[in-house]
Amino acid sequence: MPNSFERALQGITVCDFSWVGAGPIATSVLAQCGAKVIKIESLKRPDILRKGEPFKDGDNTGMDRSGYFANRNANKQDIALNMGHPDAREVAVRLIKQSDIIINNFRVGQMEKWNLGWEDVQKINPRIIYVTMSLQGLNGPHSEYMGYGVNLNALCGLTARAAFSGQPPFGTGTNYTDHVMVPTHTLFGIMAALLEREATGRGQTVTISQLEAAISMVPSDAMAYAANGEVLPPLGCGDPQAAPHGVYTTLGYRKWLAIAVFTEAEWCSLKYVMGNPAWAEDQKFATLEARLHNQEELDARVEAWTSGQYSDWLMEELLRNGVKAGMVKDAREAIEDPHLRQRGFWAYLDHPVVGVSLYNRAPVKFSRTPVIMETPAPSIGQHTKEVLTGMLGYSEQEIQKMTSDQVLV
Amino acid sequence: MENNYFSKLKVLDFTGELGPYTAKMFAGIGAEVIHLEPLDGDPLRQIGPFYKNVKSRDGSLPFCCYNSGKRGLALNLDHAEGRAVFQRLCASADLLVESFAPGYLFQRGLSYETLSAKNPKLVQTSITPFGHTGPLAQQVGSDLTCAAMSGFLYLAGVGHEKPVRSPDNQAYRMAEAYAAVGSQIALFGAQRSGKGQFVDVACIEAGAGALENAAQFWDLEGKIRRGRGKEAGTATIHPCADGYIAIVAIMGKNKVMWTPFVEWMKQEGVEEWEVFDDDKWIESAYRESKEGYDTFCRIFEKYTAQHDKRYIYETGQGYSVAVTPVSNGKDLLENPQLKARGYWQRVRNETLGGDVVYPGAPYEFGEIHWRQGGNAPRLGQHTREILAAHGYAKQDIDALIKAGAVYAE
Repeated sequence: MPNSFERALQGITVCDFSWVGAGPIATSVLAQCGAKVIKIESLKRPDILRKGEPFKDGDNTGMDRSGYFANRNANKQDIALNMGHPDAREVAVRLIKQSDIIINNFRVGQMEKWNLGWEDVQKINPRIIYVTMSLQGLNGPHSEYMGYGVNLNALCGLTARAAFSGQPPFGTGTNYTDHVMVPTHTLFGIMAALLEREATGRGQTVTISQLEAAISMVPSDAMAYAANGEVLPPLGCGDPQAAPHGVYTTLGYRKWLAIAVFTEAEWCSLKYVMGNPAWAEDQKFATLEARLHNQEELDARVEAWTSGQYSDWLMEELLRNGVKAGMVKDAREAIEDPHLRQRGFWAYLDHPVVGVSLYNRAPVKFSRTPVIMETPAPSIGQHTKEVLTGMLGYSEQEIQKMTSDQVLV
Repeated sequence: MENNYFSKLKVLDFTGELGPYTAKMFAGIGAEVIHLEPLDGDPLRQIGPFYKNVKSRDGSLPFCCYNSGKRGLALNLDHAEGRAVFQRLCASADLLVESFAPGYLFQRGLSYETLSAKNPKLVQTSITPFGHTGPLAQQVGSDLTCAAMSGFLYLAGVGHEKPVRSPDNQAYRMAEAYAAVGSQIALFGAQRSGKGQFVDVACIEAGAGALENAAQFWDLEGKIRRGRGKEAGTATIHPCADGYIAIVAIMGKNKVMWTPFVEWMKQEGVEEWEVFDDDKWIESAYRESKEGYDTFCRIFEKYTAQHDKRYIYETGQGYSVAVTPVSNGKDLLENPQLKARGYWQRVRNETLGGDVVYPGAPYEFGEIHWRQGGNAPRLGQHTREILAAHGYAKQDIDALIKAGAVYAE
């Protein structure tokens, strides 16, 4: 059966209680790779990101116009299940029986309140992978603390050095940890448990501490302090191994060009593209060490040269000469970037309320098993009937009753 | 019984400054990882910060961090015998992770087609600035230029400000984390079908996948957004007695978030706290106004200036306010939560003559055991034992060393 697994995760079912940021990004990647992801929502408790900006034409009526929500929830099926109702658990149990993965990012204890903690779920389905995503782990003095991506960026050490010297730290300007550090480690843990299950036949728990996952991608400051007793300085746009290295003003509204010169060969190439100006031959720019020492003057000199030029033309000329350069693109320019387009990074999906709108796929291309953006973000309960009559084996009458009993809302 | 799958998983890691965290994630869950490096050493060995601030081939803290738990073999791919060794290693490997420029391995007769011909289950994951297809595929790139081109860097600033760079090469780290996930997904497919595949991960895509909602802001509302950080109490950073703190006291119109903040200010007897007890703060338009932002900073910072990060963090969290320190390396090492959970790993390094402190487990599993593993290898430290395990006799190994195909210490 050569083509029986043409999607990498075909046949894998995910019971998805996760909401808002990092959880839905993780399950979206699984869905793009062919897993069947069933998102559990409720009109009584919608995913709060449905009310997060931006909205189609700026109009936030209803629950389906948020692009913030949509981009995290493509390819998923959505059932409306009011877990506050005692009869809802049985529906969840039927789904759990047929699932390979169950994931939530609630505060610690919420699943246990529904008698759906690991001990219970393991009895329902011993093959299931049980994923939790607490902020700082399940124990310890700060395990109950709260925080959003911006808080976690700060707490994990990312923000402190994302600063210009003498100015307050800024960070990424986004809830960065939610988008990359936490979902990637969650996915890695899920896949590890799935691969291990093929050998053991058993499921297991995957417990993420968002803080601990995040620190593993910004280790230098803490490691350096432990080794040397010094806190590392703000980075600005610099790099201790490169000069010039920065973001330089070019012609246009908020247009900059990033230039990164690591080697002497690259410095010579840059000088050549600059027309070998006399200032660049000064001893104070002769070596990397000297250029780092005189960085402020060097940056001012380079910027005096870039500021009268177009960033796109200059980038091309620098790249042609082997100098690492990149326009600081805004979102529109990234969307219109021919490279990203040609690689199929962006996808336009036709949403019943919003119309044709923009999504991105996971940043991974497989040669054999495609990553596919198939269906736009679902409405709350869009697939309740389909999932309950199909895989969960409920009759039309049972569904009608559970709907009027406020279970399937 | 432990680690049935991963204890048998063989990973080859031929990466340098870009790529090492991917295989580190596999080493952490028990895979056998061989770090391959050129005879003159992995370029990451040249990158600081260094242990005890002494630049040496084994003292790079990033090298130590990302290559711990791996064994090392130094290999010359420009030598025919070196290429033959590489082919033999690939013949029994499950996963090859590499970050060569597109075409580098092909030009040396080591394309995925060649390597997988003898080992169809092989997964090859390639991490590059721009990926293997598309108009930029052959261009040079660095962490900064990839962050710039992806649209990610643009968000790290407000108004007309230049964007600031995140520490620890986040454009590289993002791609590495997604490469680890892609590798796992491809390994899962290989486990079921017997067929591996080529996985193409581009830094520019990883960055473009971390734009939060900026792409949708353009697509749905025609707006170009920049970073968060100037809306009072909504992801803002404020100075305190010994650094900075980050706070999300409100998002959108969530009065339920704001009320505890007001209570905190009241109970602490903050001068003018009554100003915060007003529904105008529930409107983001007011918080975004100059008056709103300046008023917030004036009152709140008078309080924060009197206290240190730790006090503000623990006190604010006591009132259920999402406030966190902007941690530096020292704060992270002294963080009570991380201490209580035994997060930091202190490991004796004989080569460096002291202890090195590493980040610990990013996740916990029910069964899979995460491990820090041994110290990062010295150049060619395990060349002999690895070659012997792959069927090379002692005299063959001596000949390879003499010919300059491999290096052993």
